[in-house]
Amino acid sequence: MRFMILIKADSNSERGVMPDERLLTEMGKFNEELVKAGVMLAGEGLHPSSKGARVRFSGAKRTVIDGPFTETKELIAGFWLWQVKSRDEAIEWVKRCPNPMPGTETEVEIRQVFETEDFGDALTPELREQEQRLRASAASGR
Amino acid sequence: MRFLIIRKADDETEAGALPTEQLVTDMMAYTKEMTDAGIMLSGEGLQPSATGVRVSFAGGKPTVTDGPFAETKELIAGFTMIDVKSKEEAIEWLKRWPPIDGHGRVQLELRQLYEADDFGEEFAPAIRQQEARLRSHAEATRPA
Repeated sequence: MRFMILIKADSNSERGVMPDERLLTEMGKFNEELVKAGVMLAGEGLHPSSKGARVRFSGAKRTVIDGPFTETKELIAGFWLWQVKSRDEAIEWVKRCPNPMPGTETEVEIRQVFETEDFGDALTPELREQEQRLRASAASGR
Repeated sequence: MRFLIIRKADDETEAGALPTEQLVTDMMAYTKEMTDAGIMLSGEGLQPSATGVRVSFAGGKPTVTDGPFAETKELIAGFTMIDVKSKEEAIEWLKRWPPIDGHGRVQLELRQLYEADDFGEEFAPAIRQQEARLRSHAEATRPA
């Protein structure tokens, strides 16, 4: 099963403060462990929301709202994508993670990723085939 | 520049409603356009927060809280990662998101991703090396 691990933002990440050498070293080690265990699929950090935008759809209208966004604790500062055997395994890995936002109370959210078979009949055999082709070609274009 | 398009949750995604065949078809056509344009990197959908958990760290001690989580509009229902030349180009792609998603009221958030160079000269080589290792590992283990 795949899980997305969401690192929530704090006032430092929203100000664009980069992690210090100690945190980078600890995170580097943790990432190595994840790779060795075959758990790590992807991991990225996000620039502050001040560099982002939101697009709100309402019928035919699309409204673009530039960042920053105010609800800091609900924003995301980074994520991992992990392949594990169970939700408990994901939780155990998160518990071992170096505190991504040292000095503040941090929250990490663990969310299961949909797999092709979860979509049922809406994903017809033709669409399923197309999905596989697209995934392969997106991956090979990197 | 790489960007993450975050598809915000709504009552339907949080209730675990699956997309209709029409939405799957439209979404796939949109993904194909992005793939053909050479900007598509990856995309995934997330199960409702009811199957998720949160781990909060206070004073170094982890506390686990089971989902669902209340603030539906701030939750994430899925993401798409793209590689484009500018934020403006990314926003143009966002505007073309399938309009039937979320019954025409979808909310998307665009966020730029950090690159190895952003971490400074001292750390960029180590981060690049780790990325290369991860990529070769991912390629070696990718199902045929």
